[in-house]
Amino acid sequence: MEAASITGKPLAATTPVAAVRAFLGRYGLIILLAAGPVYFAIHDLLQPSHSLVKLGNVLVAGISNGAIWALVAVGYTLVYGIIELINFAHGDLFMIGSFVGYGMFGTLGLTLTTGTLGLVGGLVVTLIVCMLVCASINVMIERVGYRPLRNAPKLAPLITAVGFSFILQNVGELWLGGSQHGVTDLIRGSTHVINLGGVTIDRQDILAVGLTVPLVLVMTTFISQSRLGKAMRATAQDPEAARLMGINVDTTISLTFLIGGLLAGAGGLIYALYQTNIWFFQGFRAGLIAFTAAVMGGIGNVRGAVLGGFIIGIIQQLSDNRIHEVLGKNFGSEWTNVVVFAYLILIMVFRPQGLIGEETREAG
Amino acid sequence: MAALTGMRDTLADFRRRRWSGLAIAAAVFAIAWFLPYLYGPLSSTLDTAIYAVAYIIFALGLNIVVGFAGLLDLGYVAFYAIGAYSIGWFGSDWFTEAINGGKSGIHVGVSGQAAHLLGIHLNFILIVIAAMILTSIAGAIIGLPTLRLRGDYIAIVTLAFGEIAGTVALNGDAIHIGKFTLTAGQTAISPVDQPNLFTQFDNALNLRPYYWLGLVMIAIVLVINFSLRDSRLGRAWIAIREDEVAAASMGVPLVRTKLLAYAMGAALGGSAGAFLGTYTQAINSTQFQFSFSIFVLAMIILGGLGSIWGTVVGAIALSVINQQLIPTTFHTAPHDLFGLNFTASEISFGIFGFLLVLMMIARPQGLVPERRRKLELTEGLASDESLYEVSA
Amino acid sequence: MTAVSIASLAVGVSACGGGGGGGGPTAKITGTSLTVYSSLPEQGASGDQAKAIENGVKLAVKDRGGKVGKYTVTYKPLDDSLASTGAADEGKGAQNARTAVQDSSAIGYVGEYNSGISKVTIPILNKAGITQISPANTYVGLTSTAPGHEPGEPDKYYPTGKRTYARVVPKDTIQAAALVTAAKQDGCSSIHVFNSKTTYSAGLARNIGLVAPKVPMKIEGNDAYDPKAANYRSLAANVKAPCVIQTGEIEQNGVQLMKDVATADKGVKLYGADGICLNASADPTKGIPTTLAPQFKCTIATLDPKTFGPTGKKFFKDFSTEYHQPHPDPYAIYGFESASLLLDSIQKAAASGTLTRQKVTDAVFSTKDRKSVLGTYSIDKNGDTTLTDYGLYKIVGKTLTFDRVIKSNPSLVGSG
Repeated sequence: MEAASITGKPLAATTPVAAVRAFLGRYGLIILLAAGPVYFAIHDLLQPSHSLVKLGNVLVAGISNGAIWALVAVGYTLVYGIIELINFAHGDLFMIGSFVGYGMFGTLGLTLTTGTLGLVGGLVVTLIVCMLVCASINVMIERVGYRPLRNAPKLAPLITAVGFSFILQNVGELWLGGSQHGVTDLIRGSTHVINLGGVTIDRQDILAVGLTVPLVLVMTTFISQSRLGKAMRATAQDPEAARLMGINVDTTISLTFLIGGLLAGAGGLIYALYQTNIWFFQGFRAGLIAFTAAVMGGIGNVRGAVLGGFIIGIIQQLSDNRIHEVLGKNFGSEWTNVVVFAYLILIMVFRPQGLIGEETREAG
Repeated sequence: MAALTGMRDTLADFRRRRWSGLAIAAAVFAIAWFLPYLYGPLSSTLDTAIYAVAYIIFALGLNIVVGFAGLLDLGYVAFYAIGAYSIGWFGSDWFTEAINGGKSGIHVGVSGQAAHLLGIHLNFILIVIAAMILTSIAGAIIGLPTLRLRGDYIAIVTLAFGEIAGTVALNGDAIHIGKFTLTAGQTAISPVDQPNLFTQFDNALNLRPYYWLGLVMIAIVLVINFSLRDSRLGRAWIAIREDEVAAASMGVPLVRTKLLAYAMGAALGGSAGAFLGTYTQAINSTQFQFSFSIFVLAMIILGGLGSIWGTVVGAIALSVINQQLIPTTFHTAPHDLFGLNFTASEISFGIFGFLLVLMMIARPQGLVPERRRKLELTEGLASDESLYEVSA
Repeated sequence: MTAVSIASLAVGVSACGGGGGGGGPTAKITGTSLTVYSSLPEQGASGDQAKAIENGVKLAVKDRGGKVGKYTVTYKPLDDSLASTGAADEGKGAQNARTAVQDSSAIGYVGEYNSGISKVTIPILNKAGITQISPANTYVGLTSTAPGHEPGEPDKYYPTGKRTYARVVPKDTIQAAALVTAAKQDGCSSIHVFNSKTTYSAGLARNIGLVAPKVPMKIEGNDAYDPKAANYRSLAANVKAPCVIQTGEIEQNGVQLMKDVATADKGVKLYGADGICLNASADPTKGIPTTLAPQFKCTIATLDPKTFGPTGKKFFKDFSTEYHQPHPDPYAIYGFESASLLLDSIQKAAASGTLTRQKVTDAVFSTKDRKSVLGTYSIDKNGDTTLTDYGLYKIVGKTLTFDRVIKSNPSLVGSG
């Protein structure tokens, strides 16, 4: 029903103006993204200390933060790829993952005094529970809310998604109250593990990246190698043809939501351990940030979403730590959201197909 | 200008052809006018009614963007914020020291306390005009980047703008314009002036004037809505809503048509924002949350996208649920009926979420659907049998 | 249609000029029933404090057998918060005030908890002449032109020109001096101040900035933080001072800020103000982790329970029998004292024959050397308490425990 009004691939450059536009369309986003780190690197090297330690630490924090966004962004990108729905409830599902993790710590009796073995065992159990709970909720939401609207105008499932987002938020609010809730720093996350000439890598960074990378690898392998994964890709390309080829489209879509839910659950737990602070409202912003990541990578593209997650993580950390150097001391980390959303708008306008380009049927 | 002439023509047309509809509207309006006499001048029912009146204006504004033109705007809260800050800036002592070094203020058509305070104090009508100008500019700015985008991408971009507006309101106390800051952050700009139209409004003595002012604003907004819908511009909106490519090839100027929808929807939101701002007497960044945008969107969805009377019905229904049923009437119902350990207020988000889901699955065309919309929706649904069962 | 509407608007207005619910400031109170209202954020993170204040008020009413002279006193608690934001809301506060204004038996109003909401309710109650006593507001500009107020304050909150609002907690100038003095006494060479941008928190931080040079104490930074952020590691990384004063409230993510500051600098001393000086902060499952507890101290206007006179001792005994809480939240004490001051003033006003709201207000403002659970104090012409001593509390085994009295040097506090 919607008109594909974006004309997609830039036309061949015939005039200088068109050439500039084509160049900007192709590389503008990359230039825009590289500008921040490059500026700060040059700036730091020109300082008397000639040290990149500060920037290095920001990049480390950005990558570990970005790992969490990557896990959430994959859920967005998979769902968008297959049914072209911005699943607003996904961020709140991620929040539920954090809350389940917090609840499990209490159930399992994990505290700071728990021994290493008990802690690792407990965290593995918690991780599995978080992933399974979120996956079941996500599949259930799809079954109840989105499947009946498969042929309705696009607006309908989008609004249903917002409805589920509110319901999940309310569950979180009833669960732990209206304000932020501290989580015991079980892993003593800020303990330095590796020190590279001043750039420190802490336990929380290792946890975030160390869980995300294997999870994403397993998942991409599943999608590219397994029968079900191939069915997913086929459905994403053309659901009608896939149905004719004997693929059960409904099952395939459920599977997509299952995978998205699993990763959101894992992301939620990592977030709780990483930030040591959870909130019923965390999912709303996390969802927007992760969606930005998915769009940046090229929505529908799993590798793009992971890449986008890391990039957004770094942008956030750069902004958190150094925005005041650019805009003056009145401007601090509270402006980071504006920076992220400004990027979102810029990408939407100038390069809606993202960095890697999309693999969905409604290209460009 | 052509649009204006068109508006005038259709207004005449509207009066000629729909005198019966107009008569019903006038009767409803008359009843609404005398309703406050059933309650005390400060009663909480009147308080609910005033919120409902403000939300009707918000919803009618958003209906232009989403209902008429089919541009899903999830950042409508930005216009509430700008409208409310208009009264904070031009109707309070916020700029005390900016004006004549804090020795005297600017006063235009105000009386009562406003006349004694320093800073800028304009008459409420002037503030509403200022709010509408500011918001329509903001609306066009927000609309610009979405011009080439698909439906759900528009939702995301407008949402991002809404969030940016909220963050700017919260952190605006760091944005210095000369010696002054843009907003007061989490500190409210308070008290703001109460309107002086025929009488000095006073929220401590009598709420009725606020209600009546709101009714007059609704009447004006309804006339604007109807005449826009039946104008050339309105038909252009519906054309691009239904098929953008076809509309463009038929000569509908896409950019201008879309931007006008954004700007007009925003201007109405701004006027309602100024109204709600003066009524709550405090402009605080915490008021401008994403949930507001969804709340207003839910009203027009409940009523029926694109349907003007449906929007009014939806706005009244949700305002009453939000201001009266949840916090008062059914406040203890979860406990009384099901023995649950929470009040209805604590699940208000969930209730709205549930309503949205239910509405979309059971009656996506809304309570009072617009005829054309209804056709579109049922056509879309016809191929899905499972939905027929639910909606039958 | 529009023209008609406007005309009938004018008619409607003139038809019902005056209006107003239940009597003005000087109208004689008929009947023998009086109502005391409270307006507090029952939902969200301040819910526990709101409950504590309400319990304090209930206890004060119960202590008097629900009667003052020939009058029967009913207590009606109102909620000024929204569930969706978990915070107090100006619109709800205003309607609460109007609920009181409509009630001809309304004699007093305990509230608000948030200074920002009082900005809206003071003018409404002021016009009706209802005495308002806040158990928690510390923002300077509500009552006085002491340092830290904004232009136009406090007169703009009192449209009748007559004061109707008093408070039992000292204003920010005093708490700011107490916080800085405490840090000085503990050997801090400089401080870093944080605030959450609320009226209360930003106001207190501003006062700390004003008072610090007089102590003298060097301020390394005075930063606002975003209460919605997930963490404050980047802000914490910029803290150079050995001591941090956090004026942000517990419901504005105040605990997380402290955790991040302490993580960035293990030895930092943390000082909190009364927005975070609560039993909930001392509970490691909701508040400050056990590992950080030794670094944390906070100020509140309640002094050592051991030094309380008979009034104070009786309160603690009654409170623990009534609510089975051995350690009442400091706000329970404020709630109790707000209501006690109000009820005793009604008694005084009623003693002279006819009772009017005006007389109650006058009685509150003429309070002199009142011996109370908070110590001996008077109410000055602005409605401020003359108390200047603050209690410094620390966390011992999951409860807030009195550490020492901080006496504020009069030269630091200035006069309002």
